[in-house]
Amino acid sequence: MITTPELINALSANAAPVRRVRPLARAWLWTLIAALVLVLLGISQGVRPDLVDRLQQPSFGFGIGASALTAILAAVAASFLSLPDRSRLWSLLPLPALALWLSTIAYGCVVSWVGLAPGSVTLAEIARCFATLLVTSVPLSIALLFMLRHGALVRPEAVASCGSLAVAGITATALTLFHDLDATVMVLIWNVGAAALIVGLAGVFGRRMLRAVAPRPVAG
Amino acid sequence: MLAKLAATRLGHMPFHSRYRTPSLSIVGGSALPPGSERCADARAEGRDVDWSILMARAQSGERRAYGRLLEEIAPYLRALAARRGVEDADIEDRVQDVLLTVHAIRHTYDPARPFGPWLVAIAHRRITDGLRRQTRRRARETPLNPKHETFAAPQANLEEAEADSRALMDEIEKLPSGQRQALRLLKLEQRSLKEAAAVSGQSIGSLKVASHRAMRSLRRVFARRGHET
Repeated sequence: MITTPELINALSANAAPVRRVRPLARAWLWTLIAALVLVLLGISQGVRPDLVDRLQQPSFGFGIGASALTAILAAVAASFLSLPDRSRLWSLLPLPALALWLSTIAYGCVVSWVGLAPGSVTLAEIARCFATLLVTSVPLSIALLFMLRHGALVRPEAVASCGSLAVAGITATALTLFHDLDATVMVLIWNVGAAALIVGLAGVFGRRMLRAVAPRPVAG
Repeated sequence: MLAKLAATRLGHMPFHSRYRTPSLSIVGGSALPPGSERCADARAEGRDVDWSILMARAQSGERRAYGRLLEEIAPYLRALAARRGVEDADIEDRVQDVLLTVHAIRHTYDPARPFGPWLVAIAHRRITDGLRRQTRRRARETPLNPKHETFAAPQANLEEAEADSRALMDEIEKLPSGQRQALRLLKLEQRSLKEAAAVSGQSIGSLKVASHRAMRSLRRVFARRGHET
């Protein structure tokens, strides 16, 4: 085994200059990437035909705004949580937006329940929804993993859950923007279901994935 | 072995003696009178500022500042690990783990903020992880300790070998004295023919003959026993 003084010598011989992490800048960069993904998806798939009409309904606008806001706030929270000396309370930052988002969906369920129109649920539509889900969540997850990889050594659980909430928020926004989710059941499935799926997967694998990309110290 | 251990201990001595009382916010000064407590606080604050400056310089690639910082925090981390209940044998491992982590994520330190909380947060996390790993390992492994052996000498745990060697010794005792002496000198004590000749006063030739005969008669005795059993 190497002795501690030897280790210190090896590490200090290896001290290359580093660029300091600026958490807000990272969160904004990630938000820009997310916006870019949404724009590219909009160009390639086209937004839903009735988007302009729907945006004038307050509940729809609130829903989209709340899911996007949840994503941005969760990204900010995750990038602060990935720093060792920042407060754990940062994990509470996205909660108000999350509550707003979930309550808009709940409001939709209670006040204006739209039943499934016969023949509206086709296999092709489900496949397209899944494609949007993957195309949004996979690259954004990878980008976030690499941006927050230093958090793996300090607070992997909190960073992974906030990060996954950010990805879930953007994914739900994308699904609402690009697909005709009129039936309340579909809104529930593709918003809450997709978000729960992403956060759940991160709960199971997030810690391990963060570990896999964590910076490795090289001594000597 | 002991000398090596002593050397390693001595190698660490300068650290221990120079930094016997690492004091930062976690080291309480409650037993001290109020004035000296304030003094200790001021000293800890001064040290924090020093470490903060050293880390800022390390981030821009100054090796000497970085080496000094790591040397100064190592004894502090040792005290922290001991306080968290890490066993003496594991303390150096934990300290090195924290130092490696500090190295890997040194870009997450913001020099505008105090250094102590940053370091303590990393150390707590790594020490807790280490303790958790240790508990998990203990749960599935049982260390083999000296109590699991009946006697310390390895041969003592092989009962058959013990019986065999006693039978061989008995048979050697039965040999004529010349053969017995030759066998003892050449085979059991593994002396050279020249030495054996000098010790016994016999010629090299007669020693060779005697040991050859002794081996042959022993072989015959044990071959016969092997057939009987």
